[in-house]
Amino acid sequence: MYGGDEVSAIVVDLGSHTCKAGYAGEDAPKAVFPSVIGSIDQMEVDENDNSEKNSEPKSKGKRKLYVGSSAMGYRRDHMEVLSSIKDGIVTDWDIVESIWDHAFRECLLVDPKEHPMLLAEPSSNTQQQREKAAELMFEKYQAPALFLAKNAVLTSFASGRATSLVVDSGGGSTIVAPVHDGYVLQKAVSASPIGGELLTDCLMKSLESKGVKIRPRYSFKRKEVRPGEFQTVDLDFPNTTESYRLYCQRVIASDIKECVCRAPDTPYDDTSYSNIPMTAYELPDGQTIEIGSDRFKTPDVLFNPSLIKTIPGMEGSVDIASSARGLPQMVIESINKCDVDIRRELFSSILLAGGTASMQQLKERLEKDLLEESPQAARVKVLASGNSTERRFSVWIGGSILASLGSFQQMWFSKSEYEEHGSSYIQRKCP
Amino acid sequence: MANAASGMAVDDECKLKFLELKSKRNYRFITFKIEQQQVIVDKIGSPDENYEDFTNSLPRDECRYAVFDFDFITDENCQKSKIFFIAWAPDTAKVRAKMVYASSKDRFKRELDGIQVELQATDPSEMSFDIVKSRAL
Repeated sequence: MYGGDEVSAIVVDLGSHTCKAGYAGEDAPKAVFPSVIGSIDQMEVDENDNSEKNSEPKSKGKRKLYVGSSAMGYRRDHMEVLSSIKDGIVTDWDIVESIWDHAFRECLLVDPKEHPMLLAEPSSNTQQQREKAAELMFEKYQAPALFLAKNAVLTSFASGRATSLVVDSGGGSTIVAPVHDGYVLQKAVSASPIGGELLTDCLMKSLESKGVKIRPRYSFKRKEVRPGEFQTVDLDFPNTTESYRLYCQRVIASDIKECVCRAPDTPYDDTSYSNIPMTAYELPDGQTIEIGSDRFKTPDVLFNPSLIKTIPGMEGSVDIASSARGLPQMVIESINKCDVDIRRELFSSILLAGGTASMQQLKERLEKDLLEESPQAARVKVLASGNSTERRFSVWIGGSILASLGSFQQMWFSKSEYEEHGSSYIQRKCP
Repeated sequence: MANAASGMAVDDECKLKFLELKSKRNYRFITFKIEQQQVIVDKIGSPDENYEDFTNSLPRDECRYAVFDFDFITDENCQKSKIFFIAWAPDTAKVRAKMVYASSKDRFKRELDGIQVELQATDPSEMSFDIVKSRAL
């Protein structure tokens, strides 16, 4: 049992797109930064790096990793953008370590030795992943105590429900997970790779096909020639990697998406949306673009993945288009895999969480589609927190409250227990 | 124990009062609240109070747990009763309270042996008399 009086736990929710970290008990995470990192192979640019004055890079074997919003915002020659997470599962632990390091040492300025750690994990995390996380936390960071809590459970609890169906639409994926009395019903979880990033790509490609060129922030300079009048000068950096260019374009495209996109009330089709008014958006380089039907078409991909096929340039994702199901189908499929007795309750407490779920009108559209497809007797209710911070960070907020409860302190998996029982004990402590 | 349970303690009074409701039937309902790291008895309703008195006893924007002894007559004209457990977490309650009540529910419910129907409600319509009746049958 971890028995410290002063509990200043740290809560980390490492998502596929953003990492949220902060002190337990607070209302919102203190540090929110991309979960992708920049990496430069050391062989190629050894001399350059020694002269470069930067506090962030950390040497990891043969590559140098750059983590955090500001480090990622700075263009470097040969820097590749890498992600630690693929399909919701961690594939590269070095990157995870560098992200944790960044969160503890540079954002929160804490010594991990002194703080219990609550980590949010995806609902379908494997045993090996959990044990590996425990091992790292206790061996490398010497954390005094650890707890792993499932995303879906935290979201469900934070809305006051022990039983609910959590629709978590994040950056890299959308996961529908039924929670019953605080347990995730693993067999009924359904997942699709359609998340915010794919929508961003769809929007970007669609705009590109219409002649819009999104110029990454680093590729030009703007000068004020006369007050109020700007001149844009192109800059050329031939050593920029393709992945970094794409990363920068996505940052812009994702902002466009968040500003203008809206889930359509009915399934999207080209004819009825051809005459809708255009919305203007000013790109960082000063050009103003007009966005029309894409405002509605992009979010509709969540409901109808086969729309991807109609977007030029998205050929790489055709597999997803044909295999993934739309959001309402995922919800119904997941509920139908659950016990008959709890189906009614699940239908009436569908919770939206995650960044993509904050899309305008998404809640209304999902509710409408589900009403049409659900059994007659079911009372469908889709809920989302009215507060956009709570909606976006529901997982983190749930973790933050839990870890700060006085009564929770007996639940931690402590370092001494780890030393006595080993990392597999995590399965007992945090089922 | 559920994943991410809060570890909240349960005051013995809760179990005793519940036993009285169950065996002696001298209460219509009991509401419980969480205070100072434990679940304690909040309000008690006498047997002659009805469902409306019970719903009125729940605060509008705070969370509570409650048990209600529901008497009804089946289609076969048979007098029956069922004990309901209700987790009341209104949408307007604070996130912190919702988190605390939801993560402590499983443990607390296990302490009360003899609950027949469980309901979670986030607004009054989810625990209307009709719903309670349909769940009892």
